[in-house]
Amino acid sequence: MTRLRIAVRLLILLLLIPSPALAQGISGYAEAKGFAYDERSNSRDPWLLGWGTLFGKWEEMAGGAQLTASARGEWITSVERGPLIFDPADRHIRRAPLSVRDLWVRLPLTPSLDLQMGRFQLGWGKTDGYSPADAFLPRDLSDPFSDEKLPLWALRLSGEEGALRFEAVVSPVTTPWRLPVLGSRNAPLTVEGFPEGTVFNELDTPPPWPGFAALRLLATFGEWDVGAWGRFGVRPAPLLAFRFDRATPTSTGLVVPVERRFAREEGVGVELSRIAGAFVLRGEAAALFSGDRDLGNAYIGSLSLERGFGDGTLLVTLAANAKTTPVDASLLFDRAMLPVLITAWNRTEEWGEWKFVWTAGLRHGDGLLKGEAGYNLTDLWKLTLGGEIPYGSGKGPCGALDAARRVHVALRRSW
Amino acid sequence: MHKKDTAAGIILRLALVVFVTSLFATVTWGADARTLLKESENRHRTRTQQYAGDLTVVNKDGKVRKKGWKSFREGYAGDARNLIRFTDPPEVKGVGFLSISRSAGQNPDQWLYLPSMKRERRIATQDRDASFVGTDFNYEDMEEFDHEKYKVALQGEETLNGSPCYVIAAFPLEKDGKSVYEKKILFLRKDILYLLREDLYRKGDKEPTKRLILSDIQSIDGHWVARKMEMSDLRKGSRTTVLLKEIAFDKPQAVGRFTLQNLNREGGD
Repeated sequence: MTRLRIAVRLLILLLLIPSPALAQGISGYAEAKGFAYDERSNSRDPWLLGWGTLFGKWEEMAGGAQLTASARGEWITSVERGPLIFDPADRHIRRAPLSVRDLWVRLPLTPSLDLQMGRFQLGWGKTDGYSPADAFLPRDLSDPFSDEKLPLWALRLSGEEGALRFEAVVSPVTTPWRLPVLGSRNAPLTVEGFPEGTVFNELDTPPPWPGFAALRLLATFGEWDVGAWGRFGVRPAPLLAFRFDRATPTSTGLVVPVERRFAREEGVGVELSRIAGAFVLRGEAAALFSGDRDLGNAYIGSLSLERGFGDGTLLVTLAANAKTTPVDASLLFDRAMLPVLITAWNRTEEWGEWKFVWTAGLRHGDGLLKGEAGYNLTDLWKLTLGGEIPYGSGKGPCGALDAARRVHVALRRSW
Repeated sequence: MHKKDTAAGIILRLALVVFVTSLFATVTWGADARTLLKESENRHRTRTQQYAGDLTVVNKDGKVRKKGWKSFREGYAGDARNLIRFTDPPEVKGVGFLSISRSAGQNPDQWLYLPSMKRERRIATQDRDASFVGTDFNYEDMEEFDHEKYKVALQGEETLNGSPCYVIAAFPLEKDGKSVYEKKILFLRKDILYLLREDLYRKGDKEPTKRLILSDIQSIDGHWVARKMEMSDLRKGSRTTVLLKEIAFDKPQAVGRFTLQNLNREGGD
């Protein structure tokens, strides 16, 4: 208890330091966030939820090498919080309270050729609202509205020669998508066939060890940026196996074990962007191939249009899959919303910034309205207010989340 | 996201302001305004420039916002390549901006690197009247002052803070794009022909809407440069101050600094 008090006092002291007093290579933030819901999908869902985060990052240049390490500590009041376990690759089904977000070194082999090794995040694709090149990368959906990417353990070789760039990535470990607690308001699973009161017993099935390998080529020609990519290996989004054969009846309902399994998938894609006056046009097309009966093939395209208006930006993205999915698309995660129209508007104001995002599912007529305003109390303290309103048909991935409508408030102190 | 975009835009254009103001070299008086401006350009060209900058925005209520960045430039005007990397506040730390000039009459290629997205994004040119991230600069304020896009006239002389100045009126030529302003009044320090003040008149206004003041002028590596620039919005009562540090001219730049490969290097310069 005494140690806890000392730790809390040290944290408060750190937060109250009026200006960045730490070494230049250290940054981070502490954030307290609260959510309030107006509905519950079952009696286990809380009305109120708290989420506390402490994040620290260290960056250092040693010779020509860049070293980066970061870690995150979290405290969540809901069932999304996992046990305190060693999970350096985010392979378990729940979020560990302590996790490593970055641990990498980048070595310049030549002035135009870099080798990066360790744990880091990737960001691919051209279209911002939905990119098929980016969508397969692992996400943490514990908060289904945050679109949080998970870092990977990988080797990356990247280089540039004239107008041509390339990036080769090998990830020897599968980092799986992390899903919300099944049956909760964040993953209600309203699929017909589950009797009321069914409880899902999610088994922490270990993902396969091999990850994926990918190659991306990019080039710039005047106002055009073009690219092509290919990848093969394990798809990090799991396929859920509901083991009705092992279901057990209890006094409150049926308990159904749910396993995760992972399919292999090969994919190729092209990407294109162009400046046209004040507009930026971007497009991608991808063909994804899998022999898995529940996953199948996919032909995904996306188009986006971006226009700046002073300190604001309007971004409209349309994405669709030309192939019908063998199972309910909601169970395929990165393909769940397709076809989708995403309209995002953000703007920086004198006091801070705000953003508004409307995600409209074109298959089921459902969608998500998301708004957020951040007020800069100072350069280091920020207060954010926002809300997420899923709406529409419960058959759609957004409409199914109607019990997850919420407002939130967050206070962040950066350093 | 766009916040970083526009902030990067500011810094690039600030770099251009620094560059252009440094072009006002000492010349022998006896010519008209056009000749003076042309002479200055020829004398103060630099191969490279780099500096660290602190930007402070004070709104009408006295609330203060700050940003820090590093700026690198190679070449000038038509063949300039610029890289900007934000260092402060933490929210924008690591954001990078790369601009590569294209042939005459074409907008430069511009990319933004956002650490949160882990990739670069190509960006389009912005509205010229848009303000930047709550600062008192708009995009036109940050553009390189090209006297050939203006009709210029020497209007007389005035003394600013003890420094005698030539006063030149510049009227935008509409054929070179719509200007936010009807008129700009430039105050050039007589001894070194360096810009000390710029009064900006919006269309239809009899009084200046905004005022740019350059001060703390020093000779660094043989080039005059104002280490402090302050833009005041005379209507809103707010002001934005830019302080330049660690300025260096003609210093060789690292190989590959002005490339997309380098822009995508998280944590790099």
